[in-house]
Amino acid sequence: MTTVPVHGATVSARAHATRSEARRLVRRRLVDRVWWSLCAAALLGIVVPVAWVLAGVVGKGVSGWRWSVLTTATQGTGGGLANAVAGTLVIVAGTLVIAGSVGVAGGVYLAEVCREGRGGLLRGASEVLAGVPSIVLGYVGYIALVVHFHWGFSLLSALLVLSAMVVPYIVKTTEVALRNVPTAYRDGSEALGMPRTYALRRVVLRPAVPGIVTGLILAMAIAIGETAPLLYTANWSNGYPSTHLLHAPVAYLTYPIWTFYNQPQASAHRLSAEAALLLVALVVVLIGLSRLVVARTQRHTEGHRGAR
Amino acid sequence: MVQLLGNDTTGLAGAAPAAPAAPEPSVAGPAFAARGLTLSYGGTAVLADIDLDVPAGAVTALVGPTGCGKTTFLRSLNRMNDRVPGFRLSGSLELFGEDLYDGTSDPLVVRRRVGMLFQRPNPFPLSIRENVVAGVKAHRLARRSELSAIAEARLRQVGLWEAVSDRLGSSPFRLSGGQQQLLCLARALAVSPAVLLLDEPTSSLDPVSTAAVEAMLTSLVPDITVVIVTHNLAQARRIADHTAFFHQGRLAEHGPTARLFDDPSEEATRHSLSGHFG
Repeated sequence: MTTVPVHGATVSARAHATRSEARRLVRRRLVDRVWWSLCAAALLGIVVPVAWVLAGVVGKGVSGWRWSVLTTATQGTGGGLANAVAGTLVIVAGTLVIAGSVGVAGGVYLAEVCREGRGGLLRGASEVLAGVPSIVLGYVGYIALVVHFHWGFSLLSALLVLSAMVVPYIVKTTEVALRNVPTAYRDGSEALGMPRTYALRRVVLRPAVPGIVTGLILAMAIAIGETAPLLYTANWSNGYPSTHLLHAPVAYLTYPIWTFYNQPQASAHRLSAEAALLLVALVVVLIGLSRLVVARTQRHTEGHRGAR
Repeated sequence: MVQLLGNDTTGLAGAAPAAPAAPEPSVAGPAFAARGLTLSYGGTAVLADIDLDVPAGAVTALVGPTGCGKTTFLRSLNRMNDRVPGFRLSGSLELFGEDLYDGTSDPLVVRRRVGMLFQRPNPFPLSIRENVVAGVKAHRLARRSELSAIAEARLRQVGLWEAVSDRLGSSPFRLSGGQQQLLCLARALAVSPAVLLLDEPTSSLDPVSTAAVEAMLTSLVPDITVVIVTHNLAQARRIADHTAFFHQGRLAEHGPTARLFDDPSEEATRHSLSGHFG
């Protein structure tokens, strides 16, 4: 496809080509080809594992799929996964509320409020938190919340641990999104005499929304897929999630994938495969959702349609 | 004589107990009065010892070579330098007789009274209508029901109404550069400023749009005082009543535009204005 301009270049080069120029052209084409091959290999390195995982998960999950999985709760190693689906949705929504508000506030602080060069403590702490393995966070949550505070296996301890885990991502994406907002918007609103918080809400935040939403959805996808911190804090329950924040273990989709897979029963293996399918489907839906949100708001800032 | 008469009337007004002199912008006094004004960033003076009266109700052009400090001067007129790290100001700068930097003035109020237009048009990511009334809403200058009428009046004033009346709800970024700049002008005018500052407002526009913006600016005086930074000497000559020439961090010369261009008294001014450099 790209041969046309390249071909044109060779023709014009030949018109008055010296020998060294011709040699350089051959070399350039060779280097070009090597780099493109490396790029293609990298692309394959990403696409192939994804396709593999999807094919495996979907293949195992779809064969013998029962819709009753979505309507009945788990009984022992049989039954359905309705309790786990409900639990995962509650956990993700709760994490979104807690980590979302803390993370967006932190990002706004770093990008807009604190002076240049300040905010090192928050930024540093956030980066360290991002680097802590999730199982360590889960263990700390278990010691501190479940045991020491006597909260027991509970929704609240699960939410706090998961929130601590994903807050750094939200802080980072919010800060970056706000820093990418053109200074012309800030100058313009400042020159109009808008108070800073007013300008932030009405003008500056708007073009940053796609970035912030992407961060939130990434955080939700991470929260959906976590197992280790939840084993320590939410444990597992055959029942549906209740309104009790404390002393009530919660079911979630990642649990049966691993635990039931190691059980001997065929019903357990089937639940394991079905949970994996549901999990992947949820993540894909979330990613699709984020694409939609981003496309919508970006269209808006690039200028196809104005406010509301 | 005139000076003496001026002193006399002030004395009388001060003596009359019934007239507590309202701080109304009088056309007689300057819009801005800078006295011994020195502006610096991080200890380095960008502009030193400026004494300048910017006449009210007229167009004043600030010209000079790149880096001479004219934009810094312009941005201190509406306190846009306040949040720049390391910015320091000494001397005094008055807006219609009120000191801008003695700690008593509210920068938000100052910026409502002193509007600003930038080098590149910068409409907000809002609809065209919301752009025009953005400042009006921020300062709560009008009721909700009046906003549409305000938007229409200001768009008519800048001559943009015909072009955008059927797409007030759509984005401003589809407008041409010149139209965007006129929209920004409408936005600045909507809060009824007394002064308008312009930082090379036409440098990114084509000649036709430039003419439209220039025509708008000259129609604003004498109701609004206009201060314009420009690299385009022909533009200064076309639209400015007064011109101030900055050179190497100092105010080299200022006066009526015609005199400054035809009979400059300073060597630097003569070189620059006759096209030797700058």
